[in-house]
Amino acid sequence: MRRSGRELLPALLFLLPFLAVLVVFFVYASARAVYFSFTDYDLFNAPAWVGLENYRALFRDDNFLYALRNSLVFAAVVTTVQTAGALVTASALNRRVRGMTFFRSAFYMPAVTSSVVITLIFLWLFQRLGGVNYLLTAVARNAPAIGAFVLITVIAQTLQVWGERRRWRGAAAGSKRAVAALDPALLVVSLLVAAGATTVLGLLGHLAPRGTEAIAINWLQTRQEVPAGAPFPLRAPLPLVAIMVQNAFTTIPTFMLMFLAALQDVPRSYYEAAALDGANAAQQFFHITIPSLQPVIFLVVSLGLIGTLQMFDQVAIFGSAVPLQSVITLAYFVYNRMFPGAQLPEVGFASAAAMFLAALTLAIVLLQRTVLRAEGDR
Amino acid sequence: MSVSAIGTGAAAILARERWEARRRWSRAALAYLVMLLFSLVFLGPLLFAALSSVKTDPLAYPPKLLSPQLSPANWAAAASLGRQGAGAPLWGGFAPGAAVTFELTYFVPDGLTAEAPSANVPRRRPGGGLGAVQRITYAADYAEVGDVVEVARRAADGGELVTYRVQVGYPGAGPTIDRLPLDVQSPSREQRFVSSTLPPTRLERLGLVASYETITPGALGYLLGNYRRVFTEARSVTTGQSLFLRWTSNTFVYAFFRVLITLAIATTAGYALARLRFPGRNLVFLLVLFAQMVPTQVLFVSNYLVLRDGIWGLSSLWGQATLLNGLPGLLFVTALNAGPVFIMKQFFESLPREVEESAMIDGAGYWSRFSRIVLPMARPALGALVILAFQGAWNDFFWPLVILTTPEDVKTLPIGLLTFRNVYGNSGDWGLILAGAILSALPVIVLFVVFQRYFMEGVSYGGGKE
Amino acid sequence: MRRLFTAAMVALLAAIGTAGAQTIVRVQGYGGQDPAIVQRLIDEVIGADLAAQGITINYEPIETDYNTVLVNSLSAGTAGDVFYVPGETAPGFIATGKLLALEDLVDTSAFIDTLNAVFSKDGHVYGIAKDFNTLAVFYNEDLFDAAGVAYPNADDDWTSFADKLARVAALDPGVYGACIAADTARLGAFAFANGWTTFGADGGVDLTSPAFAEAFDFYSGLVTSGAAAQPADLGAGWPGDCLAREQAAVAIEGAWILGFLRDNAPNLQYGATFLPKSPTTGLSGNYLYTVAWAVNADSKVRDAAVKVLEALTSPAAQQFILEQGLAIPSRKELADNPYFSQDSAEARANKVVFEGASHGNVYGFQFGTIGTDYMGPINNALTAVMTGSVGSGAALSQAQSDLTALLQRAAP
Repeated sequence: MRRSGRELLPALLFLLPFLAVLVVFFVYASARAVYFSFTDYDLFNAPAWVGLENYRALFRDDNFLYALRNSLVFAAVVTTVQTAGALVTASALNRRVRGMTFFRSAFYMPAVTSSVVITLIFLWLFQRLGGVNYLLTAVARNAPAIGAFVLITVIAQTLQVWGERRRWRGAAAGSKRAVAALDPALLVVSLLVAAGATTVLGLLGHLAPRGTEAIAINWLQTRQEVPAGAPFPLRAPLPLVAIMVQNAFTTIPTFMLMFLAALQDVPRSYYEAAALDGANAAQQFFHITIPSLQPVIFLVVSLGLIGTLQMFDQVAIFGSAVPLQSVITLAYFVYNRMFPGAQLPEVGFASAAAMFLAALTLAIVLLQRTVLRAEGDR
Repeated sequence: MSVSAIGTGAAAILARERWEARRRWSRAALAYLVMLLFSLVFLGPLLFAALSSVKTDPLAYPPKLLSPQLSPANWAAAASLGRQGAGAPLWGGFAPGAAVTFELTYFVPDGLTAEAPSANVPRRRPGGGLGAVQRITYAADYAEVGDVVEVARRAADGGELVTYRVQVGYPGAGPTIDRLPLDVQSPSREQRFVSSTLPPTRLERLGLVASYETITPGALGYLLGNYRRVFTEARSVTTGQSLFLRWTSNTFVYAFFRVLITLAIATTAGYALARLRFPGRNLVFLLVLFAQMVPTQVLFVSNYLVLRDGIWGLSSLWGQATLLNGLPGLLFVTALNAGPVFIMKQFFESLPREVEESAMIDGAGYWSRFSRIVLPMARPALGALVILAFQGAWNDFFWPLVILTTPEDVKTLPIGLLTFRNVYGNSGDWGLILAGAILSALPVIVLFVVFQRYFMEGVSYGGGKE
Repeated sequence: MRRLFTAAMVALLAAIGTAGAQTIVRVQGYGGQDPAIVQRLIDEVIGADLAAQGITINYEPIETDYNTVLVNSLSAGTAGDVFYVPGETAPGFIATGKLLALEDLVDTSAFIDTLNAVFSKDGHVYGIAKDFNTLAVFYNEDLFDAAGVAYPNADDDWTSFADKLARVAALDPGVYGACIAADTARLGAFAFANGWTTFGADGGVDLTSPAFAEAFDFYSGLVTSGAAAQPADLGAGWPGDCLAREQAAVAIEGAWILGFLRDNAPNLQYGATFLPKSPTTGLSGNYLYTVAWAVNADSKVRDAAVKVLEALTSPAAQQFILEQGLAIPSRKELADNPYFSQDSAEARANKVVFEGASHGNVYGFQFGTIGTDYMGPINNALTAVMTGSVGSGAALSQAQSDLTALLQRAAP
């Protein structure tokens, strides 16, 4: 205690710049947001105390209910997709091959550019006559060729694995070879066979593209929600789906790198030992990769939840290109009530929504901590 | 290789090794294949956008990777036209004394008499939106369009291909004009436009009119037309300066100061939290954790008002009644950034205490221990912090959106791009938007390529996008 | 001659005398196409005269959402001295107390009374309408000719109009009869034709009445039947853009489209006519759009600001704006303008827009203090029905309940 008192003055001096900012822009701001949330205030006339009225009004406001639903669905879907996607890509890339650094940097490229740049590009791609619909159309039209390729690959691989396993079944224990279903040596052959066969079939005219009509999904200016039959809280509007795709696209590389950094610390001997014991890729993934990455997964899910619950940029950038209710999130709702444009600011109402958002974020992050911690202890 | 393998024959061992070798290179080949596929997924949209940013209309359907702008033959034609227009094969233009020869070919079906199309230089304003405020000189006021004459005729399936030539001159004196638009109207829809020296910007009135933004673009002007428009079209109303350049310099200034502020605050606060013992330390640390978690939008109502009033009038000390619409306000409010403080605290805690303690025995004060011993040891972490802060500032969206609203001159690049999107997106002019987006991403991409290591380190500190 | 010379000398001396002490008046307006015209208005028409009085205008067009920027800058004290106040958000701005009452400073009787009313409250006039606009049907003559369909005209009712559009749309899969946005600012005009009003006699809103539902079905039906497309479907930002790119034969817009077409589609052969009539009432409907110039009550250069406002709304300024094809003058004396009888597509279109104000059931584009938030639920319903996700009955009752909730929260 004596020591701690002695260091108080230097500590204060060191902390002075940070504390000044923290007090004004965090402590005071939080306190004032709490106060505003109990008042009716339009920036021009003095705030009037209204008690809990703003909070009650929140749940009667359609935009707020949409914002709440959109935020939760967005956070759930994107956090899951980006964590899983990053894990899978990271374990696929956890190889020591020449040129890996180059590729890793390449994948990280979408994450270094600003959200505005990426969102604008995706907004362009998701236009009715844009790249995404064109890609879907191309896939649909070339379904025969794609189907043939996949089918031939599967058949070739199955035949090879069956042949190899039969060949080595009777061999002496010492020369026995474990032949995994996706054995790389065999898979390369299967892929080459399939590519060759598909090309030949194509040249012979058996795989002519289908003349299906162009797919022209209206991704933006629409109120359509998917999946169609689900109840309101479980549906996602199409424009929000477009944002989900964009968001996963930019966050997967970042999280993938975090996983990769952690994977470098997992001894290779674990995998080698597992391979000798005949564990296949999936078993290795679930029994070695996931448990060793437990702390990083925890971090990634936390960061993902906080990030997705705050989603704002994309809504602002999509702007008038989409119906507001199809993309509005809680963060944007606060902004929208503070700067409504069409009428005077509803500062109190905005603050009430802000308090709700803060409480929701803290609650979800704490919940996730308890759940993942418990899983880790098991 | 297990021990029991020794017992088997040499041939078996050899076969097994061959098999293992095959497995190794197969695995490598598959790894490269997977990486190529991932590259396609992650870089595809960016590259596709970059390729499309040179197109006249990036929304043309079906989208193609290549456009007339990427054809060397058109570059040659554009260069030659640029030379004819202003003696400028690279950037083109229309200058006094110019004589531009332009050819168009029409298909005339059997039974129809070929008739010369009519050509004129329209008073067409380049693009819309932000450029509209500028007074521009119209080429129409100086150009003289000669007669359209037939120069060639050859048979084609079901009719004839007739080529016409038109000369556009610039007699007398006058200013050099950026572009020379041209409209050529066919006498009838049956006499169909086929090709011309340069492809038309668009066909109007159901194919009747071939319309050209400019017929003297020059090679670079043709390829990078949209990029040039990014700089030339959007200009400040008050100064006439290029807005895009202004936004870029604003962003650099903002990023520079933001890096300095982040370094100053994160190192001092991080050091105090990591090394010094004082009452309330846990409370401050708890606030750091909370500040990291609470969404910006929760605090922004109050912070916006605090800045609006110049931090309780503090800013009037240097003559600003409000901190809105200026970089100082932006720097103040974004100084609240708990992430870097947290990173530095963790880093300082990982440093060995012994070095510091030996300095303490020498009687060094807190400040000299911090600046002479701890900071130099923190160099790698500081590098990552600088990069993260720069990237964060360059790409920052929310606070600039709230604070920098008017005039256009005060904005940073991301917010400026949003202006582009609002103004040009309304007339479907995506070429300019994409060009602006690609340009604005370049500095960070260059930085990334040069300082990759620090970016990757930043990620491993749990950063990501701050 | 001598008098002129003396006058010129006096003006020159005045200019020299005040050159060092020019009062700067900050003027804020819309972005987009507008600045080109306003800047020319300032430079060519009113600038010299004001400079002689020692007043310089600093013009700042606002490219982002105008109303938001205006609210914020008014609350921050950074707003301009003279600025636009849109009719649809005027009640909100008047309530801030930041607009200067003008009735004693400006001769308001020279302006059309209904326009003054839009910017008035409790006997005070807070803005001088700079112009007004109504909706008209703008059509591409080439596309109608190619389809062999008669141009839309003043005698069309909804049925014959929709029929014409459908026949043009049949011409080519890439061409639509019309470009129609999910926008209450257009739909409302058709509902007016049917006798519906923005607020009912009791101050409430009735979206489920047959008058409104019929207009709603007609308007959304244009899209669901395939005769018309939404701008987004064609990669366009607004209907004017579809028209300029010849993707749609008809756009329902105001005179603001003329400047856009001049710059973006100078070769387009277009005409304009009145909105089609309701088959039920035999009348057409229309919105009256208007924007005013207002003076900041906190302005430090109030007198100069009022002078600038007077110059911006002077007969010379309005004549200039009219001839630029941007809007119709708000001064009574300019109603009988020789410009309207000129033989050009623009002048003819302007005449239609001008006469639209007295053609059938016309109401102001205004929604009380909730401003354009009023349109949100109806726009949502339109989008939902146009994209085929909901039927019109369900969409309308949803819109009705949303709008009622909105009005309840806004009520004090």
